[in-house]
Amino acid sequence: MIDISIIFYFGIFLAIVGSIATAWGPGVNDPIVRTFNTEVASIGVCLVLLCYNHVLALLTLLATTVIITLILFRAIIRLEEMGADV
Amino acid sequence: MVMIPPYVPEAFLTMYLPAIYAGLIVGFIGTMAIAMKREEIHILILTDLVGLAMIFIVSAVGTDLAEALILPGLVVELAETLAISEILITREMRKIEQDPRRNLSKSSSLFPQPFSLDMEIMTTAPNFIALVLIGYGIFLTGFTGGAVAGGGIVLYALSKKARGLPVLILDGIAGVSGIAWCLWIIGFLLFFVAPQYWLLSLFLAACGLLLKVASKVGLIGLLMREDIDKE
Repeated sequence: MIDISIIFYFGIFLAIVGSIATAWGPGVNDPIVRTFNTEVASIGVCLVLLCYNHVLALLTLLATTVIITLILFRAIIRLEEMGADV
Repeated sequence: MVMIPPYVPEAFLTMYLPAIYAGLIVGFIGTMAIAMKREEIHILILTDLVGLAMIFIVSAVGTDLAEALILPGLVVELAETLAISEILITREMRKIEQDPRRNLSKSSSLFPQPFSLDMEIMTTAPNFIALVLIGYGIFLTGFTGGAVAGGGIVLYALSKKARGLPVLILDGIAGVSGIAWCLWIIGFLLFFVAPQYWLLSLFLAACGLLLKVASKVGLIGLLMREDIDKE
């Protein structure tokens, strides 16, 4: 039987490491890499919500993460095609 | 003196402080990175991190109240990201208009190659699947129902456009949104004025939320359709 606090602290660890990677990680001057690094922190938050039994919040977080990623990719691609400095 | 409701499980009490500190650390990292960056698109991506910190701090409450607060927070964050990305794109277009020497490629799109799917399932199935999804979404009501019904609308819009037929115009979205707000506010007021009609007010609020979320997701479908609209 796995102790629930292991998952909880692992979620916190993933969230903090993911946010550091998003802020100052390798290759984050490319906005696509930055968007992908956000996913790591997002998975950490998912684990924490799982520990708290927040099922609806977990599902909504997953859905909105997918949609936000789609929106960000659209914005990044459009801005790059227009030749803006991204 | 901290008031703890009696139905909060014992395990959640020990998880409270670590979660609050983790939220503070993540929020601090996010805001520091925002302060150090200059490009707007990077700032928009880093705003996600601050949203995650918000979820951490709210979820540390550990009761149903936390869940009820996380849902609108996420939806507002989604709408905000959508609006700001549109503003960024529009501003960049204005810059290019003022300086016509930089040539703008005619069509820019989410999909790098022309998106003309010619599969049979795109021509026969969508009517039925969209109908089933919208019907099931209306049956569910509330946030989940709105998401399901919105998925149906998106599927219909995308598949019809890939066929090259005119698709239903979602121009009345602002009106639907206003009606949804009215339903929600009436339900909320009724909840306090006449508590014996709690079921009615609950359903008013749920249907308002359904309309709201479905129209939001449908709006995303409209944006995507604009991208797919190329030969």
